[in-house]
Amino acid sequence: MAVVDVDSAIAQGDPEKGPPAPGAAAAPGPARRRVWARRLQLGVPIGLIVLIVLACFLGPVIFDVPRPTNGDILESGLPMFSDGHLLGTDQNGNDILSRLLYGGRASLFIAVMVNLIGVVVGGGLGALSGQLGGAFDTVLMRILDVFIAFPSLVLTLAVAQSLGASVRNTIFALSFFSIPAVARISRSAVLRLRELPFMAAAELSGTPRWRVLLRHIAPNIGPQLLSFAMLNMGVVIIIEGALSFLGLGIPPPDPSWGNMIFDGQQSLTATPWLVVWPSIALMVTVISFNLLGENLRSLWSSR
Amino acid sequence: MTLASTPPRAAALTWLSGAWAGVSSSPILRIIIKRLLMAIPIMLGVSILTFWVLASIPGNAAQLQLGINATPEQIATLEKQLGLDQPAIQRYLDWLGGLLTGDLGRSSVSSQPVTSLIADRLPVSAELVGLAFVLSLAVSIPVALVSARRPGGIIDRIAMVIAATGQSIANYVLALLLVLIFAVKAGVLPAIGFTPISEDLGENLKGMVLPTLALAFPLMCFYTRFLRSDLVDQLQREDYVDTARAKGAGPWRVLLRHAFRNSSFGLITLVGLNVSVLIGVTVITEQIFAMPGLGQLLLQGINTRDFVVVQDLVILFAAITVVVNLIVDLLYVILDPRIRYGSR
Amino acid sequence: MSADPALTDVRPADAPAGGTGPADAPTASPGTAPGAPLLSVRDLRVMFTRPGGGRVFAVNGLSYELRAGRMLAIIGESGSGKSVSSRAIMGLLPPSATVTGSIRLDGTEIVGMPERRLRQLRGTQVAMIFQDPTRSLNPTMRIGLQITEAIHLHNKIDKKAARARAIELLKLVRLPAAERRFHDYPHQLSGGMRQRVMIAIALACNPKLLIADEATTALDVTTQAQIMELLVDLREQLGMAVIMISHDLGLAASYAQDVVVMYAGKAVEQAPAEKLFARVRMPYTRALLGAIPRLDATPHSLLPVIGGQPPNLSVMPTSCPFRPRCPVASDQCAEIPPLLEHEPEHRWACWHPDGPGAADQAAPVAAAGAGGAAGPAVASAQPPAAAGAKTLTTPGRAGSATGQGER
Ligand SMILES: Nc1ncnc2c1ncn2[C@@H]1O[C@H](COP(=O)(O)OP(=O)(O)O)[C@@H](O)[C@H]1O
Ligand code: SF4
Ligand SMILES: [Mg+2]
Repeated sequence: MAVVDVDSAIAQGDPEKGPPAPGAAAAPGPARRRVWARRLQLGVPIGLIVLIVLACFLGPVIFDVPRPTNGDILESGLPMFSDGHLLGTDQNGNDILSRLLYGGRASLFIAVMVNLIGVVVGGGLGALSGQLGGAFDTVLMRILDVFIAFPSLVLTLAVAQSLGASVRNTIFALSFFSIPAVARISRSAVLRLRELPFMAAAELSGTPRWRVLLRHIAPNIGPQLLSFAMLNMGVVIIIEGALSFLGLGIPPPDPSWGNMIFDGQQSLTATPWLVVWPSIALMVTVISFNLLGENLRSLWSSR
Repeated sequence: MTLASTPPRAAALTWLSGAWAGVSSSPILRIIIKRLLMAIPIMLGVSILTFWVLASIPGNAAQLQLGINATPEQIATLEKQLGLDQPAIQRYLDWLGGLLTGDLGRSSVSSQPVTSLIADRLPVSAELVGLAFVLSLAVSIPVALVSARRPGGIIDRIAMVIAATGQSIANYVLALLLVLIFAVKAGVLPAIGFTPISEDLGENLKGMVLPTLALAFPLMCFYTRFLRSDLVDQLQREDYVDTARAKGAGPWRVLLRHAFRNSSFGLITLVGLNVSVLIGVTVITEQIFAMPGLGQLLLQGINTRDFVVVQDLVILFAAITVVVNLIVDLLYVILDPRIRYGSR
Repeated sequence: MSADPALTDVRPADAPAGGTGPADAPTASPGTAPGAPLLSVRDLRVMFTRPGGGRVFAVNGLSYELRAGRMLAIIGESGSGKSVSSRAIMGLLPPSATVTGSIRLDGTEIVGMPERRLRQLRGTQVAMIFQDPTRSLNPTMRIGLQITEAIHLHNKIDKKAARARAIELLKLVRLPAAERRFHDYPHQLSGGMRQRVMIAIALACNPKLLIADEATTALDVTTQAQIMELLVDLREQLGMAVIMISHDLGLAASYAQDVVVMYAGKAVEQAPAEKLFARVRMPYTRALLGAIPRLDATPHSLLPVIGGQPPNLSVMPTSCPFRPRCPVASDQCAEIPPLLEHEPEHRWACWHPDGPGAADQAAPVAAAGAGGAAGPAVASAQPPAAAGAKTLTTPGRAGSATGQGER
């Protein structure tokens, strides 16, 4: 599991806050290079993510990729660059590349859904709580405290176990722990916003609360939640992998990066690549989302 | 209430408020009491949530133990034996009452007392987590200091790239890669298994290397990045750093004597916040390396519907989280004179 | 307080420390002569390179001199380069700064000096105190330790001796109950006491020059006066030179002997205090005079500001930098006015030192100032302070009664 947990993301502030490299006096050359470095900061991770998404969702449509399941047992354990199996096949004769792509679909879909639910439900609850204050706020905060004291993986495991393994239930189980995190962030963002003069002005001029919430708060905490959601994409992908790895996520034979790693682990000595490929896919995806999230954050915080 | 009882009541109240004044004048006591009071509703909430989520898992220990061929009568008998026939509320209250009196109950599967199950396995997990913490701090603090000495310098850049990558690695992926490299390819370290310290310290430590690394590396990366950026922040924004430099203090003295102490607050907070995540990570790590720790007990418990064990473990984990955060608060008090002398 | 620091000069060095009256013109030549100034800044330029590649020309050819034992006030709006230019004396600028020109302290060139040597200089030759005493002390360290650290950094003495010296210093800066306070943390002290501790740290190794960067700005008026008095006394007692940086001309009038007025990283007017306040020449200085906060204003209320935008420092100026805001600007001001010694000891950089048409350009002007019409941009109820003799009394502050006595 990633160590980028939500609380720390709050506590951490911005890891890149220090001005980039106060190098000594600079000629225009390095300066221009630095401008480029800034563009690349967003460009590289976005490019990688687009590439991964396209590969997973359009790749199997455009290119003729073998099915990810029900492979021919006679074709099991083929090495890389075999005929028709670029990355070879696993013990069941399933094409590894195909499983990677379909597994990616599942991981990305789950991560997007979990974050969407987190941002909409958690963000909404948090904003409402911060805006309304009072008993609603107190009760919600106490409930969030409970969730935060609760070891998140254990909670997710238990929920996944009680609901049974499926994509939908995995989304549900993971939402359990992404909602409180987003709620806390959006609540504290709203509280900070409320200090600002324009909010006071809006409230004094008698604008209804829900309007203040929609018109003023949503656009202002949007960027913050977006960058958190990007960081959280990585976390969710990793935890989803962990669930599948423990047999509680996406049920086999359907592929997911987590259950591919788990399957491969059992023959780690003989066929290490069965673990290596999904691990690389997982890592590159997570790194891309983390990079994007962090760079977005340093962008809006330096604004 | 009679009039006569009023004076002693008033006296008691005065005494209470006096006692409170005595307590509240000591920030340490005040913080401990405040934290513990705050912990009560949290722990209660955790217990309810745990019980509720587990109770909604289909199937129970009796059904699972007897298998699908058991007759309803057999199941009913065993359920009765295990107390599973009681209504959920009753079971919850029984369990809670037991907890409050220090009785954690018995496993529905092995019928051993949960206390002894936990006592058997706690040392394994504690050793793993302890080693991982020590290792991650022992590496991240010096690396962060050296990086902050010259931000943007070559060491800083390399360290930050490694740290940013390492922070994104899934713990189970790292664990498997480590096994692949050190156990499978190089064959220098055991891939799985655990030797108790009491049997052979050398073997014990050898077996601990890979799990500790798998646990510590992402933490290490995380702490390094955090501490480094906090140090750089202190150096660039804080006036007391200017004062120190204006005295003629060299860069290392400024870093170690001045910036680091002020940055340590943030690091401690982070370590405290990490605990609940770390517990989850430990569960997976123990699973991969087949270590007989609390994580394994928890997964077994979930798989065999041994809910008493699971509930107790979750409560234990939540209690650990609460206690660690209490310790963090106390460390704050010790390190930050502004709190110690009660001005903040 | 006497104007002549004919004093207990503790240090053997610095021959001209005392005695030299205002008639003693500052020598124009830098360097080696026995009457040489303690500090000589020549054509100092500091440029910052921004991460995105932009540049900030924070100091653009600043020159001034300071003789031992005197107090020099550097005055200017926020952003005029006061802090940056004085940090350059300490070598305390970030790596993004490029420093050129010359800073000679007691004959030693500081610009380009390696960090290692600078470190030996800091504390022993120059010391500095900063604006916000709440932030400039380390919150996690006892104040006693913060002082003894400064002592230990430059002296090989044992703990006990350092402690004794620290307490002596705390007494010197008139911190009440010095022995007891030795073990206090900064947050246990008031703002004024913290600033005293900062001064004690600065004095720990007998610097020849003390730079006080807005050292009293964050304090209330009474405390401000006390700290200024303390600085004046210490200067006399220890014979060190002091640079006090402020945006407040009134403070300079009350306490300093020499004044440098900065604008856009340059000196625009420069003279001994009594000469300057007898007849202010630069329209900018006049505007600053108008911007003096008044005693009857609430402390910490926003300072009255000079109308118009502060100069853009990302480009080198090609005309008089004050031109866009100057009430008496003319076409001639498209050319940068040089800083010249138009009157003995009184320099200014302005084409129209007495308003438009009063006299022509760079020629030293002897005519009486008809400056009454000057400074309409001044956003203050105070009368534009062109009539010098009157101005001398205007900057009313708590400490000014004694301050005025100097002149
Ligand atoms: N580290 C820095 N990087 C870039 N610009 C700086 C830096 N420090 C100061 N400046 C700029 O230099 C100018 C002068 O600043 P300063 O000397 O602090 O003004 P002040 O007269 O108020 O003390 C300002 O415009 C400021 O923005
Ligand atoms: S030179 Fe011209 S613009 Fe500049 S201050 Fe003098 S009169 Fe004003
Ligand atoms: Mg300044």
